[in-house]
Amino acid sequence: MSYAVELINISKSFGNVRAVRNVSLQIRKNEFFSLLGPSGCGKTTTLRIIAGLEEPDSGVVKLDGKDVTYVPTHKRNIGMVFQTLALFPHMDVYDNIAFGLRMRNYPESEIRKRVKEMLEIVRLSGLEHRRIHQLSGGQRQRVALARALIVQPAVLLLDEPLGALDLKIRQHMMVELKRVQREVGTTFIYVTHDQSEAMVMSDRIAIMKDGVIQQIGEPYEIYMKPRNKFVATFIGDAINMIEGDYLEPGIVATSLGQIKTIASDEYFGKRVIVAIRPEKVLIGSEVTGDVDNVFEGTVSMTIFRGAFIEYRVMLGHDIEFIVFKPHVGSSAPLLTPGSSVKIGWNRDSGIILVE
Amino acid sequence: MSIIDIIRRGKKLKLFIFIGIPMIYLLIFFFIPFLIAFLYSLGMFKQVVYQYVFVPEPSLEYYSGLMKFPGIFKSIQRSFYYASLTTLGTFLISYPLTYYIGVKLEEKYRDLAVLIIFTPFWINFLLRVYAMRFILHEAGMINLILRLIGIISEPIKFLGTDTAVIIVMIYSYLIFMVLPLYGVLEKLDVELLEAAATLGATPFKAFIKITLPLSLPGILAGSLLVFIPAVGEFVIPELVGGPNTTTLGTIIYSFFLRVRGVTGWGIGSAAALIYIVLILVASYVYMKFVGGEVRLG
Ligand SMILES: Nc1ncnc2c1ncn2[C@@H]1O[C@H](COP(=O)(O)OP(=O)(O)O)[C@@H](O)[C@H]1O
Ligand SMILES: [Mg+2]
Repeated sequence: MSYAVELINISKSFGNVRAVRNVSLQIRKNEFFSLLGPSGCGKTTTLRIIAGLEEPDSGVVKLDGKDVTYVPTHKRNIGMVFQTLALFPHMDVYDNIAFGLRMRNYPESEIRKRVKEMLEIVRLSGLEHRRIHQLSGGQRQRVALARALIVQPAVLLLDEPLGALDLKIRQHMMVELKRVQREVGTTFIYVTHDQSEAMVMSDRIAIMKDGVIQQIGEPYEIYMKPRNKFVATFIGDAINMIEGDYLEPGIVATSLGQIKTIASDEYFGKRVIVAIRPEKVLIGSEVTGDVDNVFEGTVSMTIFRGAFIEYRVMLGHDIEFIVFKPHVGSSAPLLTPGSSVKIGWNRDSGIILVE
Repeated sequence: MSIIDIIRRGKKLKLFIFIGIPMIYLLIFFFIPFLIAFLYSLGMFKQVVYQYVFVPEPSLEYYSGLMKFPGIFKSIQRSFYYASLTTLGTFLISYPLTYYIGVKLEEKYRDLAVLIIFTPFWINFLLRVYAMRFILHEAGMINLILRLIGIISEPIKFLGTDTAVIIVMIYSYLIFMVLPLYGVLEKLDVELLEAAATLGATPFKAFIKITLPLSLPGILAGSLLVFIPAVGEFVIPELVGGPNTTTLGTIIYSFFLRVRGVTGWGIGSAAALIYIVLILVASYVYMKFVGGEVRLG
């Protein structure tokens, strides 16, 4: 089976800005694939190259196994939801959604039927004769989605479609998008700078920085096994890091002393970073005698975050650890700032990163 | 309290400044002269030596006088013919031009490009029209070029013909079409065209379904700005035309400034009123026809 979308060594520069560098991607059919990275990292450019709105300087674009690198946009079977939505201001909801079918010369009776179905899928029934400026942000979002989906594209490209929405609506739309994707069974390529959006919706995520793909993987994999410091910090709420030298198997020498880690020859003799997710750090009475790494610290801040408690713990003078503790069923009093506390983690909770 | 504060506080004063003053201006310089011309055309206002006399009974004498004027209907027809071709010509030249500048050209060069289109219009209107006379003359540039490349052997006589009048009118009215078109095309969101392409629209279809409807307000404004004054044009037919290029404008002009007197002004006013009525009807029909399509979000 061929891939829905395949990019082979794609590069694109604007003047002396190298927006996309040697990007290769293989996106499977019916996959919800996210391109995640900070603003300016080349996500939109990559998406526009897939859509044919931008021509790559080098490399090959394949859709469903066919080389389309020089095929114009209107002949590629893709749909796109633009960051600005780009709804047609001179048409109502119905005409916006019907546009793609009209371009394909469908009979009006068929168009009416399909638009009606699509309005149900995106839950906009009854609004077909509203003008675009009479809709709320979330409704416009749905119109853009419906307009792109109605032509049953092989691939739907979405460029930060939820960026402009309020948090609550955004969370709601994330679930909706996932539902729609399952309902229509189409490959989605979703561009975002928001790691939580990507984590919630994606089957796989590609993380980009400065035009280069840093890592591709499932959300779990990327979270648990980030390949470098950038990915580790970009994904997840927070991560604790300590620099050191990997001198002996399973031991990193740091300013805090020796830290026990998993053993791997590939780091031997290198400067590495040991990274630990805040929820993997044990604190207070959880730190028992058989924990691999134990350190004494001072609580510098206690933050009630709702679903969990965040502690900031100073180890030595300049290393601050972030610790997340769920409080379900625990009636233990909060640790107060200023109190001494033990923290620790087991060697398999630590991730070893090279810069 | 300073005068600024007084203005700021007084709601009525503000209303007066922003609405009242323009209204008074329009009243004095537009509606009252219009009323005077209207009364003149009906013979209700007359100058006797140095006194103006109001005659309370309207008569259609000047209108019938105008209708009996030889070639009047032909001239009215010609005015509309010139104005229509001028509107069409300015549109056909301006649209591709402003599309290129407003949509395709890099943003930083746009103002410069518009400025360049404007440069000829910094020169006095009469000078420009005279320059066009030289260009169109039998010994002028156009004939010279045509002869040099061997298309013609005898010079073509442009001056005095409809062609000369229309060419010069298109040239003179061009910016009135360029500006409103540039206004809408410069604001055109190119992403809408890209969106259309992702939905399967060829560039041509995207143009018909997106670009054209979104530029309708500009087309409407531009064509009214060109058409209305072009119907009343009298200088260009006088300067580059001849006996066969008489328009409604030149008739009004000659009644007011050549015939003069009570009769000249009376018939001139009647012609001016007919002009206004025809323009109103034409604009109304046009706006109903094209303007009905204009719906903007
Ligand atoms: N049309 C363009 N002209 C010049 N530079 C561009 C253009 N499009 C994008 N860039 C540059 O390319 C880089 C990547 O841009 P983009 O793909 O839009 O990033 P992202 O979508 O990840 O924020 C940025 O530095 C941006 O300034
Ligand atoms: Mg972007």
